[in-house]
Amino acid sequence: MLKVLLVLWPSFVVAGIAEGVFFTVIDPRELYLFGEPVHFSRLATYSIGFLGFWIVCAASSLMTWFLMLGPSDLNRPRGRQE
Amino acid sequence: MTSKPQVAPIEFKPKFDEESLYEVHKKVHPRAVSGIFATWRWALVWITQLIFYGVCWLPWNGRQAVLFDLVERKFYIFGLVFWPQDVFFLAILLIISAYSLFLFTAVGGRLWCGYACPQTVYTEIFTWIEQKIEGERNARIKLDAAPMSARKFRLRAAKYGAWTVLSLWTGFTFVGYFTPIQTLWTSTWSFALGPWETFWMFFYGAFTYLFAGHMREQVCKHMCPYARFQGVMFDPDTLTITYDTERGEPRGARKKGVDPKAIAKGECVDCGICVQVCPTGIDIRDGLQYECIGCAACIDACDQVMDKMDYPKGLIRYSTEHAIEEHWGWREILGHIVRPRVVIYSVVLGAICVAFVWGIATKPVLRVDVIRDRATLAREVEGGLIENVYRLHVINVSETGHRYSIGVSGLQGIDLASERTIEVPAAGAKSISVQVRVPPESGKKGSNQIYFDVKSLADEKISVHEKASFLLP
Ligand code: SF4
Ligand code: SF4
Repeated sequence: MLKVLLVLWPSFVVAGIAEGVFFTVIDPRELYLFGEPVHFSRLATYSIGFLGFWIVCAASSLMTWFLMLGPSDLNRPRGRQE
Repeated sequence: MTSKPQVAPIEFKPKFDEESLYEVHKKVHPRAVSGIFATWRWALVWITQLIFYGVCWLPWNGRQAVLFDLVERKFYIFGLVFWPQDVFFLAILLIISAYSLFLFTAVGGRLWCGYACPQTVYTEIFTWIEQKIEGERNARIKLDAAPMSARKFRLRAAKYGAWTVLSLWTGFTFVGYFTPIQTLWTSTWSFALGPWETFWMFFYGAFTYLFAGHMREQVCKHMCPYARFQGVMFDPDTLTITYDTERGEPRGARKKGVDPKAIAKGECVDCGICVQVCPTGIDIRDGLQYECIGCAACIDACDQVMDKMDYPKGLIRYSTEHAIEEHWGWREILGHIVRPRVVIYSVVLGAICVAFVWGIATKPVLRVDVIRDRATLAREVEGGLIENVYRLHVINVSETGHRYSIGVSGLQGIDLASERTIEVPAAGAKSISVQVRVPPESGKKGSNQIYFDVKSLADEKISVHEKASFLLP
């Protein structure tokens, strides 16, 4: 449970900050999606943007968590799962 | 490191047992307290929540007084309207908040956590509901342990139901700060809410429910960044919740009114009430710990015990490291508030605040962006005049609609060949295309500086003098 939190929570906070900075500087109407101007409502763009940021940040946190695994987690002999 | 190679995997002791931190944790059932600090905490619950649930309903000039209109990209705060161009103010506001937090923490420890943090406030409200429905601490512990029964089911359903209603209301209010709340209200009841509004309402509601209902002190202990670094803002003169070890130890049970000296004990009667009231479930008698959110519940609780024992209050009290060591009273503690760290924080904070207020007070109420039309640089029109085309983006930041006159100057014989006025509604923006003509001999070849003057017809003082360049072939 704590591991899930450690991945989802920091990424949520950072996604919030990223969202704030990004959309203060950039108007969603100025964005292009596959060469077409974004046609979603602004609210939808903000929301999708936030969830997108969250996913990206969570991926980074997941990787951090993965690289932080200690020898005890990795040296486990095959077949002897606790 | 040993030189002998290890063949078989040895039993590693994990450096930190992260699993147990969370899963083994026992649910904390804080006992209710009353006392001066509890009163303060409740006062802050009322103040902050009246503001939060109430302000979004206030009207102002025919609109919502406080509205962070994301769709229109405009923030309304009573008489002020902020545009994305004003992001600078937001940055300063964040700096001010951060500095105030530093200052408060250096002087008074975790005042924010104990009294004002939404996590504390909502936990307080949710615990109160829990206590009203399921009873006091002992009843709740018993209920937790009891097998499911009709009564337990009824109590649980009532509690979760009440929490859900409050959470949804909180989610609704939250969204109401970002989309006009009146419309939100009517569309809620006609089931016409947009998908994203619905999503955020439930999202925020679910977070409130989870954080305040179930996770509580876990949020402070495992999720809050401030709880992790507040320690560095502490110094030996910072006020913290402190147990007076010298006075309290050796602790031990005794009858009422027994003089501690007579039984060779300290004044702590080891009743454990300070632990029972603690919302984070720690024992303050073990010294200052990062889990302590500074809520002062243990102070209130212990003071009541001291009263019953006829001992002086304040075995647990707000004090500083120095004060405890040196047996200082309040006079000396207050005398040590002024110290370099506090002075520096205060000066910087004061300066930023002044700059902020000054900036807001002198915020221009009219903005004009001049953009050259890139398609046609310069062309000759009838009468041998040279014409340049511009686009003026006129932003009316004020609370009233204005009609503005547009003028141009800077070259001999310069004149407009397009509309000379433009009407812009309150807190609105409009773009207008303007053609500027000059006789070819009035300037040098290439770029010449000209000026646009946009002036309100109602108020001469509202004007903008904006530079632009005019191309002559
Ligand atoms: S409430 Fe006071 S007397 Fe009771 S255990 Fe805590 S410190 Fe000791
Ligand atoms: S130790 Fe006292 S002040 Fe700290 S969190 Fe517990 S009850 Fe609140």
